[in-house]
Amino acid sequence: MQFHLRHFDRDLCDKLVAKLMKDVEGTCSGRHGFVVAITGVEHVGKGLIRDGTGFVTFPVKYQCVVFRPFKGEILEAVVTMVNKMGFFAEAGPVQIFVSNHLIPDDMEFQSGDMPNYTTSDGSVKIQKDSEVRLKIIGTRVDATEIFCIGTIKDDFLGVISDPGATF
Amino acid sequence: MDELRRTLSELKHLRRASIEKDMCTHPGVIGGLCIRCGQKVDDQSGVAFGYIHKDLRLGNDEVARIRKRDFKNLLRQKKLYLVLDLDHTLLNSTRLLDITPEEEYLRSQTHALQEPLKGSLFRLDYLHMLTKLRPFVRTFLKEASNLFEMYIYTMGERAYAMEMAKLLDPENVHFNSKVIAQGDCTQRHQKGLDVVLGHESAVLILDDTEPVWVKHKDNLILMERYNFFASSCRQFGFNCKSLSELKSDESEADGALATVLEVLKQIHGMFFDQKLGDNLVDRDVRKVLKTVRMEVLKGCKLVFSRVFPTKFQAEKHQLWKMAEQLGALCTTELDPSVTHVVSTDAGTEKSHWAVREKRFLVHPRWIEAANYLWQKQPEENFPVKQTKSQL
Repeated sequence: MQFHLRHFDRDLCDKLVAKLMKDVEGTCSGRHGFVVAITGVEHVGKGLIRDGTGFVTFPVKYQCVVFRPFKGEILEAVVTMVNKMGFFAEAGPVQIFVSNHLIPDDMEFQSGDMPNYTTSDGSVKIQKDSEVRLKIIGTRVDATEIFCIGTIKDDFLGVISDPGATF
Repeated sequence: MDELRRTLSELKHLRRASIEKDMCTHPGVIGGLCIRCGQKVDDQSGVAFGYIHKDLRLGNDEVARIRKRDFKNLLRQKKLYLVLDLDHTLLNSTRLLDITPEEEYLRSQTHALQEPLKGSLFRLDYLHMLTKLRPFVRTFLKEASNLFEMYIYTMGERAYAMEMAKLLDPENVHFNSKVIAQGDCTQRHQKGLDVVLGHESAVLILDDTEPVWVKHKDNLILMERYNFFASSCRQFGFNCKSLSELKSDESEADGALATVLEVLKQIHGMFFDQKLGDNLVDRDVRKVLKTVRMEVLKGCKLVFSRVFPTKFQAEKHQLWKMAEQLGALCTTELDPSVTHVVSTDAGTEKSHWAVREKRFLVHPRWIEAANYLWQKQPEENFPVKQTKSQL
């Protein structure tokens, strides 16, 4: 962690933790996935002054909650957009695309002001804000986001709750 | 022997697994992953559909498959596709720094961006622009949406296109994932239906500019340009005062959008005519468009006088071709069956003949008006003046 000398005062420790949270929370790495929240700082090492700049580098050991979807994992996600190619859903910071190849064949795309995929008898509907259970079949992680391809074509996958349903 | 058998069976497993992986034809790639099997794919082939998702590419087979399925879906809803241009067709925009002194009054008349349904003039500060929506546009979109699935296709940049879409469609009902901008074109300076997920035989295009649709002239309905702002008038070489400077506007009930809506309804009605018997899937909206166009000047036989430059091959001239597309018969020589003489000078021999034989003598704009208004216009509204150089 890089820190400028001007911040060195009695609140240094708190500032370090605050900056750590600001810099690291919300980032991604291929190895660990998405850093959701820092839960604790274990150890702050000795600061090393960098020649020629006013910056000091501190090695910080910390614990955090990470989120990383795996191929084959079953997740619950909320649908954010539906179009004729398929639908996009979000599970926390992860965006998942389910193409119409991986949506059951008996579900047809209906365009309109609330585009959706519906079964022929109208019993099951996937639209914006629906909750779905899907399986991840491919992932890609880069510095700021995790993108996945998902499927709902297997058993027990599909809509969990219909936002328009009344009980 | 056992080891050999075990190795063989392992190899078979591996082979089967790798065949399964290879069997996927990767119909499309999004974010570097195949949309069907989820594998990482480096392929850059196919067509980019950046307007649906910034990292989406689809193979030609997949595009064909989606088009076919979507078409069947649309036909069931009795709809066709409509591609709409933005500038000078549905609206007119000007940069804030191009506003003339006589347009200054507009600055205080803009409507709040948060209430786009209420007004037609908007100021977009971060784009440094003023935008005026064409009269009748909201009604047009609402009625057209019952007959067509609509796309926006502009040569403007994506940021501009999305802002305009928000003004025209604040509830994101008409143009969700269907705003195509300059960056989505596969060819420079050309718009193409290759990025539209609909069969060419079912697409109609509304645009004020013909040259950008070279490959799809048969799908195009040419719109009269909407030039509200002074900068727009100047752009097209008009020296007169603009609508904004005259504190006037195109008529809502009689304007271009109202007129073209009626034409669209007519074409739609003819396409879905039950009495024709053949399969809807085999019909072609381009043929219907051509038929409707041919009715406009049907029965007219035209001769041109002082319209084409000398030694210019008359049949190749834009006006000749326009008249023929409108159903008129064009000829170079006078004969008793000629109904109209189209001229820019009332002093020519042919013009005199028209007056003598009590035929119509009209200015070429009569043909253009018929083209924009889809109706034969009263000939008396297009008189021809005598030019001064008369001996």
